[in-house]
Amino acid sequence: MFGFLKSPALSPRRLKLKESALFSALTPLELKIVDGLMHERCYLAEEIIFDEGEEGQALYLVMSGRVLISRSLDTSVEVVAELSPGEFFGDLALLDNSPRNAQARALDNCELAVFFRADFMGLMETDAVIGYKIALALARHVGSRLRDWMTGKPRVEAL
Amino acid sequence: MSAAKHNDNEHAGPVVWCGIIAATCALLFVLDRTLELAVPFLLAIILYYILTPAMQRLLRLGMDQNMAVLSVGVMFVLVVGLCGVAANYWVAAPVDSWQDVFGRYINGGLAFVRDMLMALEEKFPILHQIGLSRTFNHRLATFTATFVQKHLTDVLVSIASSLPSLMLAPVLTFFFLRDGTRFKKFLARAVPNAFFEKTLILLHEVDQTAHRYFQGLLKLTFLDTTVLAFGLWAIGVSSPLVLGLIAAILAWVPYVGSILGCLLVVMVASTDAPGDALVAYGAIGVFVMVRLLDDFVFMPLTLGRSLHIHPLLTVLMIFIGGSVAGVAGLMLVLPLLGVVMVVGETLGRLITNPRLRARHRSAMVLRARQASVDLIL
Repeated sequence: MFGFLKSPALSPRRLKLKESALFSALTPLELKIVDGLMHERCYLAEEIIFDEGEEGQALYLVMSGRVLISRSLDTSVEVVAELSPGEFFGDLALLDNSPRNAQARALDNCELAVFFRADFMGLMETDAVIGYKIALALARHVGSRLRDWMTGKPRVEAL
Repeated sequence: MSAAKHNDNEHAGPVVWCGIIAATCALLFVLDRTLELAVPFLLAIILYYILTPAMQRLLRLGMDQNMAVLSVGVMFVLVVGLCGVAANYWVAAPVDSWQDVFGRYINGGLAFVRDMLMALEEKFPILHQIGLSRTFNHRLATFTATFVQKHLTDVLVSIASSLPSLMLAPVLTFFFLRDGTRFKKFLARAVPNAFFEKTLILLHEVDQTAHRYFQGLLKLTFLDTTVLAFGLWAIGVSSPLVLGLIAAILAWVPYVGSILGCLLVVMVASTDAPGDALVAYGAIGVFVMVRLLDDFVFMPLTLGRSLHIHPLLTVLMIFIGGSVAGVAGLMLVLPLLGVVMVVGETLGRLITNPRLRARHRSAMVLRARQASVDLIL
C-alpha cells in the first residue's frame, strides 16, 4: 500500500542525468520529478542550438554527441569549449533571461535534455529542496568557472 | 553574430493585432456553436487549476500519476460533500416550498418597483399624466400571462438538455490532470529546433495567463462575496452570505450578471422589509458600492494584473463577445483574448524573425543531406 514511498529505480536516462554535476545530489525520487520536467531534443551535426545574443530561456544537458561553444570576435570566431556527454551549457539562462554570450552548435548528431527556466523557477517555489540542490550545483559550477578564469585557464564556458 | 541579434521585446504591430482580434472572434463563433461542450470544458479548466497544486504535492511524495489524480478527485468530492452536509445542517430548511419562496421574493420585488413608481408619480405629476405605473402594470401583466407558454418551457428544456454535458467536466478534468504535462511535451516535441525555446515560452505564457485569470476570478469572487455579505448583513438583509455568493458568481458575466445580481438583492431586501423602502435603497447602495470597489480596486488587483489588456480594448471586446456568442461570449471573451494575445504575439515574433527562419531552413537542408547521404539523386 505504501509502495509509492519507495525510491523508484533509475532508468538508463535518469542514470545519465545523475552522472551530470548538476543533478548528482538528487535522490532517485527527486531525479524522477526533474526528469518529468525536462524536454528531449535531437540536433544534427552542424545544427545551431542557440545563437549568441539570443534571449536565454533554458539549460541544455548533453546526453549524447558533442557540442561546440563559440564566440564571434571582430574578425574571427573563438572556440570556447567542446562539450561531451554529461556536461551542460546555457546554465546562466536558469538564473536570468540575459542574452546568450556565445553560440552553441552540434558537432555530431546530439541528444540533449533541456531544462526550461520557468520549470526551474516553479520547482524552486514548490519543491525548495530540489531547487536548492540544483541552485547549489549551479553556484559551484559558476564558481569553478570564475576560478578557472582567474587562474588564466583557457577553457571558459561563457554562457 | 550580428545576424543572430534581434529584439525579442518588440511589440506586436497592427497586422498581428488585427489577427488576434479576428482569431478571438472566430473562436467565439465556434464557442457559440459548441456551447454544450464549452461549458464543461470551462468547468474542467477551473477544476484543473484548483486541483493541480494538490496533485503535484502527491506526485512529489512519489505517488503514481493515475493514483495522484484519483486521490485528489476523491478528496475534492469528499470536501464538496462535507460542505454540502454542513450547509444542510447550518441553513434551516425553508418552511415553504421553493416555488413559494421564489414567488414571494418576486412579489416583494414587484411591490417595491410599484411603490417606487407611485412615489415618482407623486413627486413628478407629468409621470402620472403619461401613466407610468399603469403602463408598467399592463406590460408586466402581459409578460407574466404569456411567460409560461412562451419562455419557461424553452428555458427548462435547454437547462435539462445541458445537464448531461456537465457530466463531462469531471472526465475532462481527470484527463487534463493526468495528461496535461505529457500533452505539453508532445506539443513541444512537434516544434522545430529553431523555434523550440520560443515555443516553450509561449506554452508557459498561455498556461500562466489561463492560470492567473481563473485564480484571479476565484479571488475576485471571494472578495466580492465577503464585502457584499458584510454590507447586506449591516443593513439587515437576510441570508447575506448566500446572496453575496450568488451575486459574485453572477458577476462572472460582465454587465448582465451585475444587473441580475442587483435585481436579486433588491428582491430579497424589499421582501424582508415590505413597508420600509429604505432597506431596498440601502441594498442598492451597498451593491453599487461593491461594484465600484470591484471595478476600481478588486478587479485591477486580481484579473487586471492577469491579462494586461488595454481597458478600451477590454470594453470593445466585451461588446463583440456579447454580440457574437451571447452570455457565454461575455463571460469568456477576456480569457480567450488573453490566450490568443499571447499566442498571436509570440507567433508574430517567430514568423517575423529572419534568423530563426534561416536556422530552420538550414536544419531542413542538413536533415535532407543526412537522409540522402548514401543515395544517388
